[in-house]
Order: sequence, then C-alpha cells, then structure tokens
Amino acid sequence: MEKEETVKLISSDGFEFIIDRKAAMVSQFLRNMLTSPGGFAETENGIVRFPEISTTILEKICQYFYWSRQYASGKETEFHIEPELTLELMMAANYLHT
Amino acid sequence: MSNQRRKPFQIEAFKHKVVLDPKYADKTWMILEHAIHEIYNHNASGLSFEELYRNAYNMVLHKYGEKLYSGLVTTMTSHLKEISKSVESAQGDAFLEELNRKWAEHNKALQMIRDILMYMDRTFVPSTHKIPVYDLGLNLWRDNVIHASSIQTRLLNTLLDLIQKERTGEVINRGLMRNIIKMLMDLGSSVYQEDFERSFLDVSANFYRVESQQFIECCDCGDYLKKAERRLNEEIERVSHYLDVKSEVKITKVVEKEMIANHMPRLVHMENSGLVNMLLDDKYEDLGRMYNLFRRVDNGLITVRDVMTSHIRETGKQLVTDPERVKDPVEFVQRLLDEKDKYDKIISLAFNNDKTFQNALNSSFEYFINLNARSPEFISLFVDDKLRKGLKGVSEEDVEVVLDKVMMLFRYLQEKDVFEKYYKQHLAKRLLSGKTVSDDAERSLIVKLKTECGYQFTSKLEGMFTDMKTSQDTIQGFYANHGAELGEGPTLVVQVLTTGSWPTQPSIPCNLPAELSLLCEKFRSYYLGTHTGRRLSWQTNMGTADIKATFSKGQKHELNVSTFQMCVLMLFNNTDRLSYREIEQATEIPAPELKRCLQSLACVKGKNVLRKEPMSKDIGENDDFLFNDKFSSKFYKVKIGTVVAQKESEPEKQETRQRVEEDRKPQIEAAVVRIMKSRKVLDHNNIIAEVTKQLQSRFLPNPVEIKKRIESLIEREFLERDGVDRKLYRYLA
Repeated sequence: MEKEETVKLISSDGFEFIIDRKAAMVSQFLRNMLTSPGGFAETENGIVRFPEISTTILEKICQYFYWSRQYASGKETEFHIEPELTLELMMAANYLHT
Repeated sequence: MSNQRRKPFQIEAFKHKVVLDPKYADKTWMILEHAIHEIYNHNASGLSFEELYRNAYNMVLHKYGEKLYSGLVTTMTSHLKEISKSVESAQGDAFLEELNRKWAEHNKALQMIRDILMYMDRTFVPSTHKIPVYDLGLNLWRDNVIHASSIQTRLLNTLLDLIQKERTGEVINRGLMRNIIKMLMDLGSSVYQEDFERSFLDVSANFYRVESQQFIECCDCGDYLKKAERRLNEEIERVSHYLDVKSEVKITKVVEKEMIANHMPRLVHMENSGLVNMLLDDKYEDLGRMYNLFRRVDNGLITVRDVMTSHIRETGKQLVTDPERVKDPVEFVQRLLDEKDKYDKIISLAFNNDKTFQNALNSSFEYFINLNARSPEFISLFVDDKLRKGLKGVSEEDVEVVLDKVMMLFRYLQEKDVFEKYYKQHLAKRLLSGKTVSDDAERSLIVKLKTECGYQFTSKLEGMFTDMKTSQDTIQGFYANHGAELGEGPTLVVQVLTTGSWPTQPSIPCNLPAELSLLCEKFRSYYLGTHTGRRLSWQTNMGTADIKATFSKGQKHELNVSTFQMCVLMLFNNTDRLSYREIEQATEIPAPELKRCLQSLACVKGKNVLRKEPMSKDIGENDDFLFNDKFSSKFYKVKIGTVVAQKESEPEKQETRQRVEEDRKPQIEAAVVRIMKSRKVLDHNNIIAEVTKQLQSRFLPNPVEIKKRIESLIEREFLERDGVDRKLYRYLA
C-alpha cells in the first residue's frame, strides 16, 4: 500500500488542512484510520472530513500535532491555548483520542 | 490535551435533558450494523471511517454502549455461523484452505471493526468489565467456528493426518499448517493445547511406540540409534516450522521416552551391536550418538556408564589375570596402556569428555590393576624396559608422553610402596650397569613421582643419582692421585653406594684376580684416606668388566662380562682346561652364582667363549671347562649376559613381598602415633579410617595389620586402652 506523505483534514465549514502523515499519527483515531487493513474510504484517499469540528479548533489541533512531535523529541515549549477554546478543544481531543 | 492553563473554570451541568430522537439509537446502530456486514463482504471502501467512528462514539456517549456491544456480538456471531457453514461444506483438502482463508478474512474484519469501535473499547469496555472487541472477536471465532461440533474433531484429525503423512515421508503444505496452528495459538494457549497439542502428543507417543518396536526388532543398535536421532531431529524441525516453540520440549520428551528410555536396556545390551560391541570396535560415531541420545533421558548416561564400567572391569580383569599375559610384563603394561588410550579416545571423541565417564574409567582401572598383585612390579619393569632400550631414537616429547602414561597407571596403584621397592631395584641395576638410555628421562620420571607422592617417596631414588655422581668424582680423584703409579694395569671404576639408599643385596664375596685385588686395595686406602670413619664393602655381584681376549687366527674380541665371569675367565689366562671344582676353589664364588655364570659362558650359542665337557645344557659339578679357541663373532664387542631372571621368581617375589610388609610396619606405627598425638583419645574404627587415609598415597594398609601395630604400640606404652570403653585408645605422652 503506497502511503502518501500527507493527509487532508477538512473542517465542518469546509477548510482544508494538509498535514504530514506523521503528524496526523499523533491522534490514535487518525492512526487507526490510516493504518486500518481493510480500505475504508479515508484510508484510500487520505481525506478526512470532520463535520463536527470547526475550523478554529481543527487548526488548533493541527498545531498541537506538530507541537507534540517536537515536544516528544525533547523540545520543551509551552503550548498556548486560548481559554475560550478549551472546552471544545477538550471534546475534540477526546474524540480524536489525542 | 495537556498543558492547559489553569483558570477558575466550571462546567455547568446541562440544565435541560438533551432530548434525542428516540429512534436515534436504532438508526445509528442500523448504520453500524450495515457497515459490519459490508466489512465482512469486502465492501469497506465505500464506508467513511470518520462517520462510523463518530456514530459509535456518539452511541457510547449517549449511553447506548450496551446496545452497541450486544449488537456487535449478535451480528458477528451470525457472520461466524455462516463462515462455519462454508468451512464445513469444504471437502477434503479444501477444508483447511477454506478455514485458513476465512480466518484471515475474519482477522482483517475484526481489526477494522475494532478500529471503528475504538471509543467503545476505550471507555465503555473497561468501565463495564467487558471483553475488548478484538478478544471478543477471537472468542466468538473460537466458539462458533473452531468449536463447532462438525469442525472441531475434523480439524484435529486433519492436522494429525497431515503430520502422520509427513512422518511417513510425504510432503505437506507447511505454510498452511503454520497458519492454522498459528490461529490456534492466537486463540489462546489453552486452545492450542487442548484442541491440538494434547492429542498430537498422544498420537505421537503411539506412533513412536509402534515404530520403535518395529525398529528394534529388525535393526542393530547403531542403526536404531541413527533412526531415533533422525526422528528426533525431524520433530525438532517440525516444531520450528509450524508448531509452538513450547511444544519442542514436550514432543522431544515423547520421542525420547518412546524411542530411547523404553528400550534402553535392550539397546545397550543388544547382541552383536550393543554398547559393548561399539566399545570393542571403536565405533566413535555410534557411541557419540548413543551418548547424545541417552543424555536426554533420565538415567540414560548412568546406564551407558555402568555398562562401560563393567565391560572395562571385565576385560581388564581378564587382561591382568591371564596367565599368558603375566609372562611378559612389558607387553602386559603395554596392553594396559593401549586399553587406557582406547577408552580415553572414546571418551574424548564420543562422550564429550564427560567427567563422570572419566571418573568411571579411572575407577575401573584402579579396580582391575590392583587385582593383580604384580602390577606394581610389572609397571616398574615396563619403565625399566623403556629406559633401557625402548626410548632410543625417540624424541624428548615422546619420552615424556610415555612417562606420563606410566604415571597415570602408577596413580591407579594402591600399593605404591611396592612399586617403589621394585623401581629402586630396577633403577639400581640400570645405574650400575650403565644401561640408562637417557639421564634426562630418568630424572624426569623421578620428578613426576615426586610431584605425585612427595619428597619422601623419591629421596632415596635421588640419593642413588647423587651416589653415581660423587662416585664419578671419586674415581677421577683416585686416578689423578695414583694414575702414574698404576700405569698399564686394568682400569677400575668404583661406584660408592650409600647404604640405605640402595636396595640391599647380600654381598657375595669372591676372590678377585691378583691384579685387581691390588687395585681395589689401593682404592680402598685412597677412599678411606679422604673419608675417615667409613666402611667399604665390595658388591662384586653387581659389577661388570670389559676384558680383551685373543682367539685363534689372532681374532680379538672385547668381552663385556660380569665381575664373576671375569674372575672365571681370568683363570684361563694360565691354562686352557679347568674342572668345576678347580674354578670353585680358585674364585670362591657360591655354587648357584657360579653355575649361572658358567652356564652363560659355555652354554649360550654364539657367546660360548668356553667349552664344556661333556656337552650338556646344565652345569654339573664334575664338568670340565676348556678355553674355546674357535670362538668367533661378527662383532668386535661381545656382551655376555648372565642368565638373569628379569622377572622375579616365585621365592624372590615372596621375599620382596615380605620386605614390603616389614617396611610397612614402621610406617603404620608412625601414622598411628601421629594421629594419636594430635587426637589424644580415639576409638578403634576411627584410627583405622585415619591411618588408611594418611597412607593411601603409598599403599592400602590392611586393618588387621593396623590392629597388630596398635597392640604393639600398647605393649611399648605409646598407647593404652581406656579403662571403661575398651574400644577407646589413649595417647601416652
């Protein structure tokens, strides 16, 4: 199975985020989806739609993916979260198993 | 998500109940159920992972977890029932193939289902203590497919059939086997064990029981072992190819038990091909195989070792007690050495240098060498033979090898003091007759004996060497002082021997020829002049002489003879004919010695410098002796040996024995005193044990003798018996 190096995440209002596969793998949800043996639609196209996640949150999530990889590789910086996003972000995190 | 900034912050509970479409759960489940069907039908590409995940997520979130879970169980079960049917209907060989394919499909589907239901696995399953989706899938597979009544036994029989086929030489699809076995293992080790391994082991045991019975009826031991080894390797290979590694131990145990353990005695004792025959024929390969196979079994090696030991003991016993062998001591010892070499080689080549086998070998040798009381004498004679002539032209390393081997036999001897006695005698003869081939070899052996038995053992032997050396100096000194006045006369070489260091032999007097006795007197006065307070006595029976004789046609020969023979021959300088009586009178050599000496001068063909009248083999007291003018020899130097008894005759043997016994007495007494001095009080049995231990390196004391010594010590008031306990002895300071 050839794996493309990037995946496209689409928010509820249609914004597309193209991120590295590796970054996406931070989410257990995305990891399972992308590595699932039986080809689901997403596994085949590398496009994932999130009808329940807004652009703002998805952007923040993508940022988090990259930050998390850096953090894991030893670069300890703070990840800033605006208070008003907190609740939604937490729900999304739970959903994505991140 | 981590690293959130702390802030006084509160999530309010929903004020109003979220009203959901009551059909919501059913609807959502329909979607998921449909998806599961699609997955099983390989139509997943039309499904959105995100959507399914979201649905499952929401169901769990809205407390429909139970519905989701039980729905999953029902749906999957129905699918597995179908699978089970299709597997069932597969005929013949297709059965395993179908099962394997369906298993692969189920596995894949199960993974996908697990992925979309991940949220349930994460939250609902742990909190309600249910089985996670993946394991649930395996369990359902096990219950509905593998344990389906029409599949369970069929599967087992198919597998066992295939293995049976492979055992009888057919080629089977190992890849398929591996997959199926792997499936059983994936379902849990209990499934593997109960649905396959146990029966597999039973069937194997039966198979090998029958097969080993067949083999043992028609094969000899070597072939049987080859077959057993091959079977064992096959099973190990089988395990590595398609069974659980943990089965290796179990199946090899089965093969070992059925093929080896059950037939061990029969194999070992098999007629014409058993262990004894292997040993006899030096079948290293077969022996090695036997060792490696029997090692796997309890008591296996013990059986082999016991048979080997008793065989060595038996053959060794025959060897040492064979009256034919006893006639030739050198051959006798050589046979022992060969025997030892043979088994050393077997142990190193076939028995992995196993220590226990080496010990068994050693103890067997110790056992049978000591069965023959003459072993110490023979070993010494063997060394004598080697050091006299056997080592010529042999490199130094080889000499060492021979000596080391002899030392090895020496170690087995219980009566080391007897060996010492003989060795001393033989060494004395060698030294005095100048027959030693190599001084280095002699010394090397002494060093070996010393490391083996300590200084005490060899001090006298070393004394003998010292005597030889000082004698040389003395003679040089003698000739430096008196050389001029002695002029042309015979040359005298004297060895001054310290009493005690050398084996005592009764000095037999004789009349030396006038020229010589003069010379001897001169030496005596020279020696006593430099060493006052000593006494010299001539051991004429141990000397040799080189004399020149001229025969008819001016043929000259140098005769190498003993001192006695020299005395006899010198008489013929003045006359050509002498009677026995005359010779006896002139030389005063005791009759037996004289007879021996005359016999060697007159009766040995090719060395008969004298003629005897009448001609006969034995010397009579009325015989006459004539100078044999016609004597001729190819060699200029002629050595005339006395008829020496190399091996001891029966009375001599008795005598040596007695001397040994005599010598042991003070040693035993010394040991008793040493022990009692440190212990003060000791009972009889303990004394015996201690004394035996102390003297073991020299000989094995006889308990009766020890008792006698103790009694003698009591008489001489070194010890006393305890007043109350008669078994107790006290040391009297």
